Amino acid sequence: MDGKDLTQKDQASVESTRNLRQVTPLVDIYENDDEILLHAEMPGVKKDDIMVNIDNGNLTLSGVRTLTMEGAAEWEEFGNVEYQRAFSVPQTIEVNKVKAELKDGILALHLPKSEAAKPRQIEIKAV
Amino acid sequence: MFARMSDIDRMFDAMGLLRGRFDNIFNEFDRTVRYGNDWSVVGNYPRTNLCDKGNYFELVAEVPGMSSEDFDVKIQGNYLEISGNRKVDAPDGYRTHRNERGSASFTRSLTLPSEVDSSKVSATLKDGLLVLTLPKSEAAKPRQISIS
Repeated sequence: MDGKDLTQKDQASVESTRNLRQVTPLVDIYENDDEILLHAEMPGVKKDDIMVNIDNGNLTLSGVRTLTMEGAAEWEEFGNVEYQRAFSVPQTIEVNKVKAELKDGILALHLPKSEAAKPRQIEIKAV
Repeated sequence: MFARMSDIDRMFDAMGLLRGRFDNIFNEFDRTVRYGNDWSVVGNYPRTNLCDKGNYFELVAEVPGMSSEDFDVKIQGNYLEISGNRKVDAPDGYRTHRNERGSASFTRSLTLPSEVDSSKVSATLKDGLLVLTLPKSEAAKPRQISIS
């Protein structure tokens, strides 16, 4: 074998910078005449660790959960994860008016529709 | 030699991972939540972590979207029971497109490694995590023994 490795070391490949398990958060999606409302479940994620990105009709949610585990663990059923999910959003969403709130581990994302996309009642005139 | 062994390990790891994914390929079809990951617990109760911190235990449970009124915690000796009720309702005036988070009620009972002082237990709720601080009863506390 003269010192050859059995498997090739992947030194040429890009160094992986995230070693957190990626998890898909559960979501609820609601809609009314004015906006689309998205609820994503991210227990344990702090406000500053959430990233919401809208680019060219793609909405990406990402949240990193870092738990402080000190002491002797008796059992551990969940750990540090990265919540990640992507959606396609219609072009009629007003990207600069999107609002996000975090409460009790639920991220609420309000995606307002542009004026043109709102339903309109058309009045019929009697002639 | 050790470096090489770890390489072999890694190769088998990758093969095992692939096999695991193939095993679950039909179960996972059309499922957004990945099946059978390391932390999944069968049943619809929240996942918990328990940590021994010397004088007290800390129990953390994943309870997104629940408020403090939704819980009921009972402690007796080293027996702990957490029950709760989660309601997920569509906000008023909204139509539902997708509903993955369900309403559910659960009860989970746990046996702690030692007895706790139930009068000193405190609970906080933050970012969807329920944290219970359970001080150990006097008899169960670690004690420093001086050598004469």
